[in-house]
Amino acid sequence: MRHRTLAAAGAAAVLAASGCGGGEPDGGDGARAVTVGAIPIVDVAPLHLAVDQGLFADRGLEVEVVNTSGGAQAVPGVASGDFDFAFGNVTSLLVARDAGLPMKVVANGVATTGEQGADFGGIVVPEDSPIESAQDLEGATVAVNNLENIGDTTVRNSVRKDGGDPAAVEFMELPFPDMPAAVEKGEVDAAWVVEPFLTTALDGGATEIASNFVDAHPRLTIAAYFTSEQVLAEAPELVADFTSAMDEALAYAEANPEEVRRILGEYTEMDQTLIEEIRLPSFPPAADRESVQTIADLMEEDGLVEETPDVEALFAESG
Amino acid sequence: MSAAADTAAPPAPAAAGRRRALPGRDALLGAAGAAAFLLLWEAVPRTTAVSAEFLPPASRVLATLAERAATAAFWGAVGDTVAAWALGLAIACAAAVALGFAVGSVPVLRAYTASTVEFLRPIPSVALIPLAILVYGTDLRSTLLLVVYASFWQVYIQVLYGVADIDPVAEQTARAYGLGRWACLRHLVWPTALPYLLTGVRLGAAVALILTITAQLTIGAPGLGQQISVAQSSGAAPLVYALIVATGILGVAVNAGVRALERRLLRWHSSVRGEAAV
Repeated sequence: MRHRTLAAAGAAAVLAASGCGGGEPDGGDGARAVTVGAIPIVDVAPLHLAVDQGLFADRGLEVEVVNTSGGAQAVPGVASGDFDFAFGNVTSLLVARDAGLPMKVVANGVATTGEQGADFGGIVVPEDSPIESAQDLEGATVAVNNLENIGDTTVRNSVRKDGGDPAAVEFMELPFPDMPAAVEKGEVDAAWVVEPFLTTALDGGATEIASNFVDAHPRLTIAAYFTSEQVLAEAPELVADFTSAMDEALAYAEANPEEVRRILGEYTEMDQTLIEEIRLPSFPPAADRESVQTIADLMEEDGLVEETPDVEALFAESG
Repeated sequence: MSAAADTAAPPAPAAAGRRRALPGRDALLGAAGAAAFLLLWEAVPRTTAVSAEFLPPASRVLATLAERAATAAFWGAVGDTVAAWALGLAIACAAAVALGFAVGSVPVLRAYTASTVEFLRPIPSVALIPLAILVYGTDLRSTLLLVVYASFWQVYIQVLYGVADIDPVAEQTARAYGLGRWACLRHLVWPTALPYLLTGVRLGAAVALILTITAQLTIGAPGLGQQISVAQSSGAAPLVYALIVATGILGVAVNAGVRALERRLLRWHSSVRGEAAV
């Protein structure tokens, strides 16, 4: 009898397994269901504000934001059709295009504040470190969240600009959340870190020696919302509505920093005092293509791409 | 995962005997051990060895956990984790039982597949994450692929051992009495293999939970793992640890549940009978 119970349970499991994995539900009342993949960090506040303020709903879009646990899933997620749109940095998008995954930027994401020493990302060194400027990073080990991406290319650029030899800088991969502790303990000579971990590191006694984004370009576009060429070709109206909602959200976020801080309390788990303390990035409604070209040039110089990136081709709309 | 675990037979009578001799004492020792661990955890962040910002003391973490446990989002995440775990384990068990009995009963087939199994089995499920994302994206199927792959082998190997462990005398007796193929399976193979199968389920259940959390953490499938990842990217250390403690509690619950199932289904088996005869 007992054996039969177990066998029945097994059979039920098989049935349950075959029953799973249904199709996507559509909005029901005619709203178009859209899935957007985005890592839950400060940079994507405008996306969450757009949902919160009904900017997508106004255009008949029912947007579900899926938290990705890292930028790495964004491009494969869009390529596989899991996400209609996703948030990713321009370096990753140019690399994806180079690798034959044609991603298209449909809305701007996030940009540097353009102020030295007051950007939302920067290079920090431990308290009492002999390193005082980017040039001093020669021979040092710098932590970045991903190798061969926007972190190491822009840090090398800062070293080069400061008169140092970028080839003499060692990079190691470390997740952002682990950087403040690594810097405080002196496990790395320096770290390229973004908010909220920049503030955490500085509160822990670290010193900021350079603003690598600002060094690269005073209006540097760092990341953007993108889709695949396939979605762009198949649903141009959907893309246009998404773009228009995001444009409005970016303008709203740029004009209302207190709203950005409020929404951070909703979709992240950041401490309220930390939210008040961090430096917010800039959210210009349009990408700065000249700065993206700068990034492309740095990538080519550092050998991240096989072919010279075509920056204009990255954007859905011609500039 | 270890070699010893692979061949783990049902609970040894010796262990049961020891437990019988000292009722309650083990539980007391266990509680004392947990208390000592918590005290140590409470004390370490107050020393200079590690900053309380990166390792919050136990009291703060448990307070955060209690706070979280009052929210629907937390239980939703627990539900997602348990659902993915249960579904993955169920699929793995069903497949392992079906394949294990089929392959195990045919010595030629068993020998034929042995080397392939030995090659596939040690591949860490985590190594399949890029493949899972590529094929299934970030949805439940990715998680299931990892969970099923990891727990399947645990159960499958045990079933193979179980099917091979049939008492030759009993087998000859069954043959002498002219038992049919089905009756043989029902009255001889199944009872022999069941203790092994349940050991496999117990090992597989723990591995399945580990992989469920790992998948949620790295792929971003909804559940406790994903919440840990969100808390981590927000720099919310107390919450990170609180959620880790929650996964630990889930692990203990899973183990206790499978052991209870084992005792119930194996009431007739000497190992459990010995334990119950206090």
